[in-house]
Amino acid sequence: MVKEIEKAGFPIVQMANLVPVAKTVGANKIVPTISIPYPLGDPNTSKEEQWKLRYHRVGVALDALATHIDEQTVFEVKF
Amino acid sequence: MKKAILYINQFFAGIGGEEKADHAPEIREGLVGPSLALDAALKNAEVTHTVICGDNFMGSNQDEAVERILKFLEGKEFDIFFAGPSFQAGRYGNACGVICKAVKEKFGVPVISSMHIENPGVNMFKKEVVIFPGGRSAAAMRKDTKKMAAYGDKVLAGEKIETAEEEGFYVRGIRHQVVDFTLEPAAVRGVKMLLKKLAGEEYVTELPIPKSDRVEIAEPVQDLSTAKIAFVTTGGIVPVANPDRIQSASATRWGMYDISEMARLEAGIFKTIHAGYDPAAADADPNVCVPLDALRAYETEGKIGSIDSHFYTTVGTGTTEAEAARMAQEMLPFLREHNVDAVIMTST
Amino acid sequence: MKLELGNFYVKDVKFGDITAYANGILTINKDEALAYVMEDEHITEADIVIARPGENKRIIPVKDAVEPRCRVNGNSVFPGVTGGMTPAGNGRTHALKNTSVLAVGKHWGSFGDGLIDMSGKGAELTYFSRTINVCLVADTDEEFERFEQQKKNKALRWGAMRLSEYLGNAVRELEPEEIETFELESVMKRDAKIKELPAVVYVMQPQSQMEESGYNDLLYGWDTNRMVPTFMNPNEILDGAIISGSFMPCSSKWSTYDMQNCPTIKELYKEHGKTINFLGVIMSNLNVAMEQKERSAIFVAQMAKSLGADGAILAEEGYGNPDADFIACFDALEDVGVKTVGITNECTGRDGQSQPLVVLSEKANAIVSCGNVSQLVDLPPMDIVIGELAALGRDGLSGGWEGDDKLGPSVRKDGSVILENNSMFCGDQVLGWSQKTMKEF
Repeated sequence: MVKEIEKAGFPIVQMANLVPVAKTVGANKIVPTISIPYPLGDPNTSKEEQWKLRYHRVGVALDALATHIDEQTVFEVKF
Repeated sequence: MKKAILYINQFFAGIGGEEKADHAPEIREGLVGPSLALDAALKNAEVTHTVICGDNFMGSNQDEAVERILKFLEGKEFDIFFAGPSFQAGRYGNACGVICKAVKEKFGVPVISSMHIENPGVNMFKKEVVIFPGGRSAAAMRKDTKKMAAYGDKVLAGEKIETAEEEGFYVRGIRHQVVDFTLEPAAVRGVKMLLKKLAGEEYVTELPIPKSDRVEIAEPVQDLSTAKIAFVTTGGIVPVANPDRIQSASATRWGMYDISEMARLEAGIFKTIHAGYDPAAADADPNVCVPLDALRAYETEGKIGSIDSHFYTTVGTGTTEAEAARMAQEMLPFLREHNVDAVIMTST
Repeated sequence: MKLELGNFYVKDVKFGDITAYANGILTINKDEALAYVMEDEHITEADIVIARPGENKRIIPVKDAVEPRCRVNGNSVFPGVTGGMTPAGNGRTHALKNTSVLAVGKHWGSFGDGLIDMSGKGAELTYFSRTINVCLVADTDEEFERFEQQKKNKALRWGAMRLSEYLGNAVRELEPEEIETFELESVMKRDAKIKELPAVVYVMQPQSQMEESGYNDLLYGWDTNRMVPTFMNPNEILDGAIISGSFMPCSSKWSTYDMQNCPTIKELYKEHGKTINFLGVIMSNLNVAMEQKERSAIFVAQMAKSLGADGAILAEEGYGNPDADFIACFDALEDVGVKTVGITNECTGRDGQSQPLVVLSEKANAIVSCGNVSQLVDLPPMDIVIGELAALGRDGLSGGWEGDDKLGPSVRKDGSVILENNSMFCGDQVLGWSQKTMKEF
């Protein structure tokens, strides 16, 4: 789906846990998430920690949308 | 009698479904679930142990899972290692590939698995692991297991392994030259191939060009502060009534839902219908899957211009590439109509 | 243009008092032959050794192979190279078949040299295990390149060509056992029935990788690096207009013998008038700089289009960066509507896992694959070595090495060898003999 949307000219970033899968299926911009059932917020942590993580990674994704890349890129997250 | 060990996930071990996907790795002596069928199908070996691990445990803690499992295997006598069959299950296929590769590297034994052609594990691991084409679902369990066993028997008996085409496993991208004096000379093969191509007839190229997986990188957003961002998700987040009756697996339908007045996605208003993962966390807080609350914060701060009035959703598990591509294509006119500048896709 | 190749089928070669051919036997007056060769002062010592199919002999380092021929009108066989500038491809040329002259280094090998085994497993990997080889084994005074990996090997290669003419002259006055006729009417003046058939061009990409003169394939004596693609009559290729160079890693190499006998041209001729209208040859090249590759592709596609080609066969003398030329021409031809089939070899690495061509394109959807330069080949010792076996490991041949952590040296103490298919002499036979292909394992 990412490829179809990008083919149409929309900059797109994929947030996913299994980064190697995302790479293989061909997304160009990838931001890792922490797990499958809760990509952006571990329910075993406090609400504050979950928010911090989610806010940070969505920020990385937004910056990725505005970043020029020459090849498939996995963007780094701090936490 | 040679010895074999099989790796399976928590579901096929009978431990549980999604809610048990975090099951820590363990090894059991003897046969569990699919190892019964594998043991019955194998002529040249017996399955002595079954390794079990939750798909999420492997997915989220790969290094630890692998380390623990390799430790279980140390000191065990085994000549061959199997994993799966994993059908179309992406996490399970990934797990099978990961553990097979690690076992092969550490113990040097042949490693064999089985996956449906659309399982992402195929392209990821086919080079290191011999993977047999498998069915979409557990209905193919017997058939898929038999294929793995038949090849395993051949390898254990030291028989000559022929080409991928002849043996039946996925083409691995491992190419070697073959001298064959029954072949026509290249000049003849070339002219014949050209005549077929000119006539529009089918021919078989001797060097299949692997399909390019990447699409051209779209121009980045020039100015985030004026950009309109939309969410697309394959995590199956829908209004609790699931008004568009999106399927929980192998989806062919998708939906778009109004979030223009919402600061966040509220539990009880939205939920997930995705059958492929434990829904508890997403039901309790849908923002962990579609992070509307975080995006609203950026909108308020001015980092982005605005958020699309709707988000777009379907379910990824079991959904074919063809259907997924179609659904994405159907979303495009709306993205254009809404003047969306960029998209964040969240997947599970 | 009409070329008549008058063929004489050699059954055996031996030494005797007079250089002559009779009843299938080629007799060579060795002293006279060597005297002729050594008219070139650069050759300091030389010998001629015969190697026959089935014999327990290994020949290395082989620099080129040349079919012994002569022109009945007395012109040189290789215009602009061994003699005056005269057009090739028209008239009568006599050829000694089943025989090849080989240029063999007495001591020194170079990057593009190769190995021939006349029997056993190795014999399967080269065409020249089937020919009676008249090996010119010589040393030269070319000190400037004595220890260079890249050698022009000029004296030896010219020596082999001259020797081949000397031998070919033995049948100049004789009546051929068979005459092969190659004739194409001018492109515009073919009859209506032929014009209805799909028009096909053969696009050849000979090796032209070196910037300095002396290494590249020569066209009427002109360096193929210093040209843009041009249109040629296929007879010219069959009749000595192009000779092999001294650079190409050997299994990818088109020896002069391969060019004189180009199987793809012969196959296209066979189909001409039946299933195709064979327009002719577009002679391109394989220069290194990207811009030059792109320029050649422009010329190739334009000529094919302007000539009205419906289809093309594209052949590349090389692997690695030449794959870029191969794919560039493939794409360019397909883009102007010329349906193309490529003939090439691959380089998939010793583990078979590497990308087969360095550049790939979905438009290159019809390829005949001739072999793998990387394939590891392990061969037993042979009773007799013509040349010097040590050259394989010592002199930088593309498929040999001095020592390898896992595999040891290419040349073992007992005379057995391990090498990459890369150094099997013209082993991938891309000009059309190849009965190898690539399979997935």
